Amino acid sequence: MIEIDGLRKRFVQGRGRKARVIDAVRGVTLRAANGRITALLGPNGAGKTTTLRMVAGLLHPDAGRVAVDGIDVAVRPRDALARLGVLSDARGLYPRLSARENVLYHARLHGLAEDDAQARIEELARMLEFSDLLDRRTEGFSQGERMKTALARALVHDPPNIVLDEPTTGLDVQAIRGLRQALRHLRDEHGKCIVFCTHIMQEVERLCDHVVVVAHGRAVAEGSVADICRLGGYDDFEQSFVSLAFGPETQGAAVP
Amino acid sequence: MSGAWIVFLKEVRDALRDRRTLIAVVLSSVVIGPVILFGLSVLVADSEQRAESREVWTVGIEHAPSLRNFLERQTLEVKIAPIDYERQLAQRRLGQPVLVITEDFETALLRGERPLIELVSSSADTRAAAGVRRVQRALQAFNQEVALLRLTHRGVAPAMLEAIRVEERDLADPLARAARLTGMVPFFVLMAVLYGALNAALDTTAGERERGSLEPLLMTPASPLAIVTGKWGAVASVGMLIAVLSCLSFLPAQTLMRSETLAALFRFGWREAALFLALLLPLAAMLSALMMAIAVRCRTIKEAQASNTVVILVASLLPMVTLFTDSGEQPWHLWTPALAQVTLMGRVLRGDPFAVPDLLLPLAVAAALAALCLADIARHLRVAASR
Repeated sequence: MIEIDGLRKRFVQGRGRKARVIDAVRGVTLRAANGRITALLGPNGAGKTTTLRMVAGLLHPDAGRVAVDGIDVAVRPRDALARLGVLSDARGLYPRLSARENVLYHARLHGLAEDDAQARIEELARMLEFSDLLDRRTEGFSQGERMKTALARALVHDPPNIVLDEPTTGLDVQAIRGLRQALRHLRDEHGKCIVFCTHIMQEVERLCDHVVVVAHGRAVAEGSVADICRLGGYDDFEQSFVSLAFGPETQGAAVP
Repeated sequence: MSGAWIVFLKEVRDALRDRRTLIAVVLSSVVIGPVILFGLSVLVADSEQRAESREVWTVGIEHAPSLRNFLERQTLEVKIAPIDYERQLAQRRLGQPVLVITEDFETALLRGERPLIELVSSSADTRAAAGVRRVQRALQAFNQEVALLRLTHRGVAPAMLEAIRVEERDLADPLARAARLTGMVPFFVLMAVLYGALNAALDTTAGERERGSLEPLLMTPASPLAIVTGKWGAVASVGMLIAVLSCLSFLPAQTLMRSETLAALFRFGWREAALFLALLLPLAAMLSALMMAIAVRCRTIKEAQASNTVVILVASLLPMVTLFTDSGEQPWHLWTPALAQVTLMGRVLRGDPFAVPDLLLPLAVAAALAALCLADIARHLRVAASR
């Protein structure tokens, strides 16, 4: 379970008179429960990635608190990270290492023994359907192949909480379907808490149980897909989202 | 297995897979010893040859049989200069000064009229200029012999002519003399270490940022300090490997030396190699940390390369302090990284004695700087990942 409470982050760009203050996140509060896929839906620049970075302890929030399974990230970041699998915006691989070595590296850093790690890698490769790529160097991988490797790397320590930032980028239809199936499996069979960050409506409609609409650095609406449609005032999910994320009320709310 | 060790193993494996860079770096470090020694020995052999040259190039020697007789008694070979000797000298092609003798030399000499001999050389032609002193000395001896004969003829004792006697004594021992030539060896070894470690230093920091693999790495439970220590261990190992290879390459390289004098003077045995390494290994570790600290602030390898040229420039200029100042070795030299190591390596080559504290001081400085850099990288790593 991931709990985010009143999270705020402000960046200062430049120095002196040219300094520009950017309020990237201004008070995001949400709760992602176990056994559920929670969507973090928002336009580009809404503050999704910054929020995720604070969840992973890479950035220190100016205010607010993040807890992973009740562990405060600011207080015990190492323990929180051990219970968290993050596929972040940056998902670079080491081109001179094979896919297996890439994943194994992170498995070892998570404290898995060699044998357990190898077994886990085989299992993930089967689930994500890239077993035949495992022992090839990642140098010539396609975008989709890279994504699968990075995803396996994020999940290698079997974390109870999974955070995915735009995981479908670069995947073809088959692969997206495979991923969807894998995520449903993780939710239903293993009761994982999954946070799915995206700006693609389709993905949310098809996959997510709970939606949090983020705009201008804050959560503006929350609920199931049907709830969002009701809140937005349209039958169409996309139309409702647009009215919630870019509507006059949010604009007004965004500028206090 | 601790995080630092896992990171270390991965970085070493990654560096070993980068075959092309590795081969280039290792080859150049192994080749450096033989190439420098071969070049130096050619240089020394050439100057020795000239110093021992027993040739005197002349124009009109047929007008001076007595001088010819004298030169040949000194076992000098008298040669006839080519007609266009002036042009050849000006173009720096002759490499020998030329004696020009006038037609009336012999008669004028007999009459005691002090005939003129021209000694032609060009100061632009260093090889010819170097020979001037030698020919001058021969002419002076001829002068003296003729004068002595004349005086003895008139009943004057030769001792009357010599109020004092001069004898030259060179105090520089052979090792110190050779060190003037081999003084550049430490400098080249230092450069090999710098360039050897540079690539790994960039790849593990700025490269990791450029690829976007730093952020996922920091999302593992390994602490930033453990990650940095592991990375630094790998980079420093590469630098140290280069140091070992380039030092050891001097051992077999000595057989290549063409100059016997230099071979006798350049004493680089296992003891010297060990002392070199005692100085170079801590420096390699420190420079690795420094280059990483600079590179981690850069977003791309290219940017990091540009920033690190400053380190390389400073490290290569510092040892030259001793060239630009005449004040000799100063106490602060041993406090300055790179300069201290080059200074001490020079002492090793000269065979000067040096105490253990001299070794410990640069070691302590290097250790302190490396620790500072590592702490700085660890502190900066998270900021770097999220930018």
